[in-house]
Amino acid sequence: MSLLSVRDLNMHFPVKEGILLRAQKFNRAVDGVSFDIQPGETLGLVGESGCGKSTLGRCISRLYRPTSGSIEFEGQDITNLKGKALMPFRQDIQMIFQDPMESLNSRHTVGDILAEPFVVQKIGDKQSRAKRVAELLDIVGLPARSASRYPFEFSGGQRQRIGIARAIALNPKLVICDEPVSALDVSIQSQILNLLVDLQKEFNLAYLFIAHDLAVVKHISDRIAIMYLGRIVEESIGDRIYREPKHPYTKSLISAIPIADPHQKAQRQVLTGDVPSPINPPSGCRFHPRCPQVMDQCKFESPNLRLMDERRIACHLEDG
Amino acid sequence: MPLLSVNNLVTEFDTDEGRVRAVDNVSFSAEAGKTLGIVGESGCGKSVTALSIMRLLPQPMGQIAGGSVMLEDVDLTQLSIPEMERIRGGRIGMVFQEPMTALNPVHTIGRQLTEVILLHKDISSDAAIREGVEILDRVGIPSPDIRMTEYPHQLSGGMRQRVVIAMALACKPDVLIADEPTTALDVTIQAQILELISELQADMGMTVLLITHDLGVIAETCDDVVVMYAGKVAETGGVFDIFDHPAHPYTRGLLASIPRLDTPPKSKLSVIEGMVPGLLDLPDGCRFQNRCPHVEAVCESRVPELETISDGHHAACLRWKELS
Repeated sequence: MSLLSVRDLNMHFPVKEGILLRAQKFNRAVDGVSFDIQPGETLGLVGESGCGKSTLGRCISRLYRPTSGSIEFEGQDITNLKGKALMPFRQDIQMIFQDPMESLNSRHTVGDILAEPFVVQKIGDKQSRAKRVAELLDIVGLPARSASRYPFEFSGGQRQRIGIARAIALNPKLVICDEPVSALDVSIQSQILNLLVDLQKEFNLAYLFIAHDLAVVKHISDRIAIMYLGRIVEESIGDRIYREPKHPYTKSLISAIPIADPHQKAQRQVLTGDVPSPINPPSGCRFHPRCPQVMDQCKFESPNLRLMDERRIACHLEDG
Repeated sequence: MPLLSVNNLVTEFDTDEGRVRAVDNVSFSAEAGKTLGIVGESGCGKSVTALSIMRLLPQPMGQIAGGSVMLEDVDLTQLSIPEMERIRGGRIGMVFQEPMTALNPVHTIGRQLTEVILLHKDISSDAAIREGVEILDRVGIPSPDIRMTEYPHQLSGGMRQRVVIAMALACKPDVLIADEPTTALDVTIQAQILELISELQADMGMTVLLITHDLGVIAETCDDVVVMYAGKVAETGGVFDIFDHPAHPYTRGLLASIPRLDTPPKSKLSVIEGMVPGLLDLPDGCRFQNRCPHVEAVCESRVPELETISDGHHAACLRWKELS
């Protein structure tokens, strides 16, 4: 059984307009997304800004209530749970955010921040919580005296370690990492990536790793899904998506990454234009206005995400 | 002769805790028509170097405390304010990281673009509008005459950055300083903008000073590279010197720590342990000593000077010979 199984998930935000502020249009941020995550596995989710990857993460952690579709966690449907019924799942599904300065309360000490999950879930007493906080700090490689300090006293990388310690405090099974290293310098980024890999091995964590940097995602992921305008366009084993990308969007995304080797001046397939708005997405295949291999069919008919040869792909070129 | 050369530049800031030296004795030079990259982590002084060249340091806290910035035979640090205003946007154009903050949200694109042109050229406003449309078209903005009447918020991030580039290039500068021009953009848009900059460079024969933290961008676009660490130049050389034969342990650490598309998944990335020292409590000797895997007693007492490794390739490490 999959740890997480998402089926045909939609998250449509109403766009309120006019004098009456009635929702005339919808921002289809996530539009018919399905995937599974197995225990202890990392699924990388890659896409450009506005493709709906963060919204998808927030639906799964149930910070948003999806418009339709289903989210099953260990076989139980959590799509529409509310309040108390959701509490046990809050322990199992945790989140790490991009900007650790914004996601840590600047008026609380690190000790308070790390003890809060236990307070909310009513676990343990003051002493046992303090002991667990010390353990957590040790696990993420921060000195024990950090507990009495405030977030601003730490550097970006250390703050992200605090965010990670908070996320693993309740022994979750799934951690949603939303751009956890994007705000960090390269030398710090590799420290945090190593920590995430170590924690996964030690605690058998599953990750949904959301990022826009394909090289980072490929490093940490078992499988990678590429999102474009609210939909998954391709999904496959990490190595393979990079070695033999099939979808034209995946191809151009990979060719756009600057390679840190001056001998390999990449042969670019530069995409023209911008990502269209998810409020009024293009007809047919949503990538067709930017696709270098567009065919007539693509303008009218939306391709389905089909499983073939252990990868999923949504492109008419693969219809064969 | 290099077009732009920075010699022993020292830039200091007055802070509540005392005076800090954000840029300490930095020298480099950019050849005409070439691209020079300055790379380093946050706080290494790369942006302050750019602001010092443009004399745009926050006032009154920041000041150039020593050294010179030569644009051909003119020392920019000695110019009066009106003289410097003619240089900015005239002979040197600048592109900043976040296009939304570089543009004025309450003025149209056209007004902001023609302002630059009218400031530097003695032409009528009709002619300035015509030039504005032309340059917008040149940077790849579709229907430029309509865009002239629009406001920055009506454009996407990539389009805004194109407008900023258009403004920087409006007067055909000799030097373009681009400070993290693509950091706020998606990779596909980044590829468009980098291609645009190199196209325009080939066209107009500009010198580009590209400041970034992304070694990939450096490898793809630059001819020469300056690696900065904690306010000092750690290593400088041609792009092949830096990537093929890095001599400074910091450069080596940086290159080893980036995940590449061909490293095995979930393998241990090599890391540079620890953090950059604060500018207020810099150690004696080498500034990289607390993170360097090859540190020795001598590194704690002697400040390393830039030493010549090969022609045009220099590194500030006391032990580079033993380590090579």
